[in-house]
Amino acid sequence: MKRQLPLLLTFLAGTIPIVAFFVPERHVGLVSTTLDSWLIIVAGFALLLGVVNVIQMNANKIHRRSSGWPYAIVLLLSLAIMGFFGFAGAFDMFGGIATRPDGSSTPFDWLYKFAFLPLQGTMFALLAFFMASASYRAFRARNVEATILLIAALLVMFGRIPFGEMVSKWFPLATEWIMGKPNMAAQRGIMIGAALGAASMALRIILGIERSYLGIGKGE
Amino acid sequence: MNLERVMQVDRRIIYLFVAIGTILPIIFVIGLPVSITPPVQMAFDRIENELQTGDIVLMSFDYGPSSAPENAPMADAMLRHCFSKGIKVVVIALYPLGGLSEAVNELNKVTAEFPELKYGVDYVNLGYKDGAQAAMKKMAENIHEVFPTDVNGTPLDRLPIMKNIRTYRDMKLVVSLATGIIGEWWANLVNAQFGIPVIVGPTAVSAPKYYAYLEAKQMAGLLGGLKGASEYERLVVNRYPKLGEVYATPGLYTATKGMDVQSIVHLIMIAFIVLGNVVYFTTKRKPRKAS
Amino acid sequence: MPRDFPPRSFSARVPSLLFLACVLAALFFLVSTSQAQSQAAVTQAEEVPAQATDLVQPAPPPVTDLRAIDTPSDEGGSITVRWTEPANAEELGLTYQVLRSDKPDGGYAPVGQAGAGEQEFVDMGLTDGQAYYYKVRSVLGAGVAESEATRAAQAKGNWFRSYRLNALVLLVVFSSSVLYYITRARKAKPIYIRKIAGLDAVDEAVGRATEMGKKMFYIPGIMSVDEIQTIASLAILGHVAKLSATYNADLEVPNKDPLTFAAARETVKEAYLEAGRPDLYREEMVNYVTYDQFAYTASVTGKMVRERPATNFLIGSFYAESLLLAETGQSIGAIQISGTAEVAQLPFFVVACDYTLIGEELYAASAYLSREPILLGSIKGQDITKFLLIVALGLGVVLESIGIKFMSAAFRMK
Repeated sequence: MKRQLPLLLTFLAGTIPIVAFFVPERHVGLVSTTLDSWLIIVAGFALLLGVVNVIQMNANKIHRRSSGWPYAIVLLLSLAIMGFFGFAGAFDMFGGIATRPDGSSTPFDWLYKFAFLPLQGTMFALLAFFMASASYRAFRARNVEATILLIAALLVMFGRIPFGEMVSKWFPLATEWIMGKPNMAAQRGIMIGAALGAASMALRIILGIERSYLGIGKGE
Repeated sequence: MNLERVMQVDRRIIYLFVAIGTILPIIFVIGLPVSITPPVQMAFDRIENELQTGDIVLMSFDYGPSSAPENAPMADAMLRHCFSKGIKVVVIALYPLGGLSEAVNELNKVTAEFPELKYGVDYVNLGYKDGAQAAMKKMAENIHEVFPTDVNGTPLDRLPIMKNIRTYRDMKLVVSLATGIIGEWWANLVNAQFGIPVIVGPTAVSAPKYYAYLEAKQMAGLLGGLKGASEYERLVVNRYPKLGEVYATPGLYTATKGMDVQSIVHLIMIAFIVLGNVVYFTTKRKPRKAS
Repeated sequence: MPRDFPPRSFSARVPSLLFLACVLAALFFLVSTSQAQSQAAVTQAEEVPAQATDLVQPAPPPVTDLRAIDTPSDEGGSITVRWTEPANAEELGLTYQVLRSDKPDGGYAPVGQAGAGEQEFVDMGLTDGQAYYYKVRSVLGAGVAESEATRAAQAKGNWFRSYRLNALVLLVVFSSSVLYYITRARKAKPIYIRKIAGLDAVDEAVGRATEMGKKMFYIPGIMSVDEIQTIASLAILGHVAKLSATYNADLEVPNKDPLTFAAARETVKEAYLEAGRPDLYREEMVNYVTYDQFAYTASVTGKMVRERPATNFLIGSFYAESLLLAETGQSIGAIQISGTAEVAQLPFFVVACDYTLIGEELYAASAYLSREPILLGSIKGQDITKFLLIVALGLGVVLESIGIKFMSAAFRMK
């Protein structure tokens, strides 16, 4: 029973949306959208589980003075401060979580603008640096395939910037051609293969053939 | 010079060059020209030629602060375009981490430039909804059920703009400014199932994937990253010269200015790649000569 | 059950596959024509002559051929009104008002409008089973002309979205092909699966971490368990965790999504139990970091730089953080095995990792690693459908090029 029940639930939760895709009847649709709402609720509770885990782990770290424990203090403090103002804002203390009617920042909004936002921007901007070092290493004309890759990369990079067009109007056109034709063809090939792989995996899961993710043994 | 050492160049030297290439054009604006590519032209033409005054556009903020430097200029340019043409805009946010804040900030900024517009009549912000995919599906049946109130808690029935909008059928276009997968859902879920035209403005990193949807006509236009945004800025300024004054505001961050940085960094990367290859070939030939 | 049916060699099977493809094509053709006929066979009101209601302004021509039907393939509560507009409607700039009543001879009130060029209106929010009557009023300035009323139409919920028949046919073909090969595999027919270098390297990667006495990071992507790539990743995690338990390697699984976190914890715990080393399992092996994409990336890359793991697994659904994680791993000299079906992130992984599972290889991983015959069978079934799709694609290219549009019509999704 301990094994059968999760598999039965998986089967039902997997089949209902497929049936609803083909059957427009109101009640079927209702069951399917209810499942969607349940997912959101379950995810909400799981997030709570995550937060509890973060607090436990980091509290332990500080308690045991294990390596990097000062970072754990920073993390817990940040969690407490942002969490407090978020909660308080939700109950309309400190003027909510967005800006006040006069345009001034509430504490949550202030933290968002002057801590969260720049930190996020910084992480995303790191991509430019990492891309530079990765492409320096990767784009070498080692063999024919690598040379084709290199030429395509240079064309696209050059064609996407104004200098490309200043040199010749063919650079932007070549860029668009590479992106729209060979790039797209390859992407579609991978997408179709991956979609079939995902569908086959989904079928295995719905039918209870693939169970490894449930932690209840593989195969039959 | 030891060529082997150039091959194994410390990545921090590359990072230093990229940093200089990023900082200098921010301080000394170059103002490089912008050329227009077909996917962006398609997006612009769809709004300019196929929509009329009073039509409704749904604009979904599906990005957060991390990709705001790329996505926000797209949102601004498209909002300015819609408002200049008298098109009404319904704003929603489906990205959990900061989508709503981005929507509020950009809408506040752009509507301040159009004092004649009235909230609830010409534009509205319905706020954030969790569970993007489920919300998108449900909006095909009834938007009022997905968003019972706007971002300020006003019931939708009290907002004149929302009186005649119940489903996608009542709108002419969806614009999604996206950082992750939500933009793709608009193309392959909403457009494919419900038929409403979709324009997506993704970050440059994810732009290649969208070409498949564009070519399959599941998208009515594509603004790929900062470059796409700068092209759109150019197109709206050309068509509505009044917006030229807005874009000339000193200190205003625009994609066109951002493109200066991107162009210089691209050039630096091209230079490094070329250098790497030259050195690679020189060192490869040497042992052959020796043998 | 005869065991050698269908014939064994692949070349002998090509004709039967082609035949199946042709049957499919014929089926699609039948579907598309029958749909067209059913649309044409709707109840029609008799044509009505123009009826001028305004004598001052020249009356515009009324619409003809007005009919109201239950909107097909919907959940109910809606009626579709269709009409044929006058030939010069667009030149004149006509507009139409759709009027509705619940009795045939009066009480008509406007429920919607349409412009020249539009010949259909969908009226929603109706009561199923009640009779409704419609008229369409042509409007030109102050001049109006009303059509005659339609016959009674009733809205009702439907049981099948007929326009999705093609998807259903594909679903049936795909599922039966997969299930057929699973059944065959159960009868212990050996199934060939090509080598996947990235998966062969898993053992070596775990072994390396053990020898070096260093950590292994397993990053199951940043999406939730409703993303099938995450489930595929969890299946590989099960295998890695079992190896890690066997060799007593130090495994850490940081998570971004709370549901994935809960599932990963169960997977790892179970794997240690199955390997017979539940004593080695520690709760903090699988931990939760944050729901924010870049904060998660910062945390994981930070740990990578501080703890210098010997091995990184980056398997699942990744977005902009892919290169940040992979390049950091590369810079600390970790052996890296990555896998994703997110095409935009594949180039980054290929550049910065030692092995990359591309698209469907990721989904084949659990079958490949476990060598379970029935899992391998499902992969064979999937490959047969892929072959049929390739045939259909080729056929489609040829047919479209010579102007026969039926393939694109048969595969169109509405």
